Amino acid sequence: MIKKFAFITVVAAVASLTARAQYSEFDGNAAASQFTLSSDGNTLQIGGRISGYYETRFLKDDTTYQKKTHNGWAVKDFDLDILGKTANKFVYEFHASLVDLAAAAATGNTAGPQNPGIKSAYVQYKGWPVKIKLGYDKLPYSQGSMSDVWGTPFWSHANLYGGDLFSRRDFGITLNYRFLNDKFNAYAGAYSGMGENFFEYGNDASGRMEYVGRVEYSYPSKVKYNLIDEEMSATPVFRVAANARYADKTQPKGSSIITDEPDAPGVYGVRVFDGKKLAYGGDAIVKYKGFSATAEVHFMQLKPTNLTDGLYNGTDQSKNKSVVNSGGFCLGANYNWEKKHSAFSLMYEELNANDLYVGVQDWLYLAYAYKFSGFNSVLKVQYYVPVTEDKAQDPLHYTGQLRVGYQIVF
Amino acid sequence: MKILSFYLLLLLLSVFESKGKNVLHIKHKGFKLLKSIPEPSDIVFDSIGHHYYIVSDHGYLFECDTNLNVVRKAEKSGLDFEGIDIRDGFIYISDETPREVYKYRMSDLAFVEKYPVSWGGAANKAFESISYNYVRHCFVLVAQQPTVLVEYDSTFKETGRYKIKGARNIAGARWHNGLLYLLSSLDASILVCDPNNYNVTTVYHLNVLNPEGISFDDRGQMRLVSDDTRRVYYFDKLPILHQ
Repeated sequence: MIKKFAFITVVAAVASLTARAQYSEFDGNAAASQFTLSSDGNTLQIGGRISGYYETRFLKDDTTYQKKTHNGWAVKDFDLDILGKTANKFVYEFHASLVDLAAAAATGNTAGPQNPGIKSAYVQYKGWPVKIKLGYDKLPYSQGSMSDVWGTPFWSHANLYGGDLFSRRDFGITLNYRFLNDKFNAYAGAYSGMGENFFEYGNDASGRMEYVGRVEYSYPSKVKYNLIDEEMSATPVFRVAANARYADKTQPKGSSIITDEPDAPGVYGVRVFDGKKLAYGGDAIVKYKGFSATAEVHFMQLKPTNLTDGLYNGTDQSKNKSVVNSGGFCLGANYNWEKKHSAFSLMYEELNANDLYVGVQDWLYLAYAYKFSGFNSVLKVQYYVPVTEDKAQDPLHYTGQLRVGYQIVF
Repeated sequence: MKILSFYLLLLLLSVFESKGKNVLHIKHKGFKLLKSIPEPSDIVFDSIGHHYYIVSDHGYLFECDTNLNVVRKAEKSGLDFEGIDIRDGFIYISDETPREVYKYRMSDLAFVEKYPVSWGGAANKAFESISYNYVRHCFVLVAQQPTVLVEYDSTFKETGRYKIKGARNIAGARWHNGLLYLLSSLDASILVCDPNNYNVTTVYHLNVLNPEGISFDDRGQMRLVSDDTRRVYYFDKLPILHQ
């Protein structure tokens, strides 16, 4: 049934009409880049981003934990991006985080296995009604993931779509098209399923891919993948979307995700595992006169093959029914006070990484940005607190965290 | 609840702040959906043939009747047509991404030649507008961001640059009644400029989402085109306003 769904989604994508949508950080939001070379109809745009902040974690009154590694300076971005467009309608992009590359090289990719340093490396053809992209880039899944955090007052994505539950990038093929006077926008794609760990491990032993599909409806106009209403929309605009993804990573005899690709499962063990995974959800955004409100929800059904898999938390099959549920929701509200060069953001999320463990986690985020030149030169302040701590799956040693820093996009 | 109140307070502050400023808000009186033109990006009216010419982000040039029905389409296409103007029987189009100006013959929409123009900024923030300044006798192309107006002679050799103040971006330009009208899509506003020095004399604010092209018909009625909504918006003549 699931395979049929994925197949129908892909066929529907191929069969449809016009194409145009971008969620690449530097193609979709061209204000990010300010240098372009052109020659005989071909262009090459060079851009990048540098940012860093000072952070302080407010530690709990706990004499057994006094580490202050999160009290000090942090480099957020040192990114370079090359975006080329040819006269015969090919687009190619290479986007690298030099900070992440350096960290991966120095630590053997153990410092942040979900941040290998390559953010985009793809070729796209735009000459047909359906745009075709081959390579490594963001997946068309989750509004929050597809939107750039640098274009908001926040310093990081919400936990829900930040990469702990599902991958945000992968290598594969993406089809994209618009139809019914551009009101609808659809994506379908097939990927390695290894997400950001593709560079570390390549394909897994199952020999099967992950399938992703997304359909959006916008009115009265297309809505860009930026969560702040920088356009100060003169009339209300909104977008609603539904998306789903499916992967069967059941391992053949003699293979194991845990031993062969130990970084792939992620902090909660749900990103990639021996078994089947179906994720689905929806999101929405509305913008009007500087205000924007966002909502996003995700459900995941995980079916680990081995009944002794740690995801079952030792529960009996009669209780777990061979299914682990995961997911959460995220709500946001933002105000872009353009005349004062300011943007305010508020976000609340709830996350349950595994329903067979007791507890959920809730987070509240507050952020402010003073925009000296839009988000290309901006001072950002973010404060977040755990409203509800999930002591079973994500015990915390702090009660809040403050980040203050500066960002330059060129 | 307190947080919601905080945001409502900000909204009220912004509304009150806009009151009392010497700017004029104008509203469209209707629109037409351009079903057969993908992502329309600029529009110009030919007062002799009484037809509109519209360009598309997909690199196409269309000729439309007064009801905005397509009657012809140019055979030669570009990559990213964003600005259009008419002068002496020829159509000039700014192809934004590759930094070129296409020249077509009006009579049969035949491609004549193209000229390279230079802009080193972001690939998608270059010349989205082209118009002719009949006072300074030159073509003007305005970069979207940063907002710099560049003058060109008849062979598109650069002759001057001017910084335009008062808008976060410029997406359209049109000559009308001896003045240069610049359209900001990001601010949804029209800046009326003195053609001698490009100083902004008047500002109109619009209730249109992401307007990218501006035109005036032979009765002075304004038409705006928006690629995001795929619509042409109808306006009456602009009211006179002195600041």
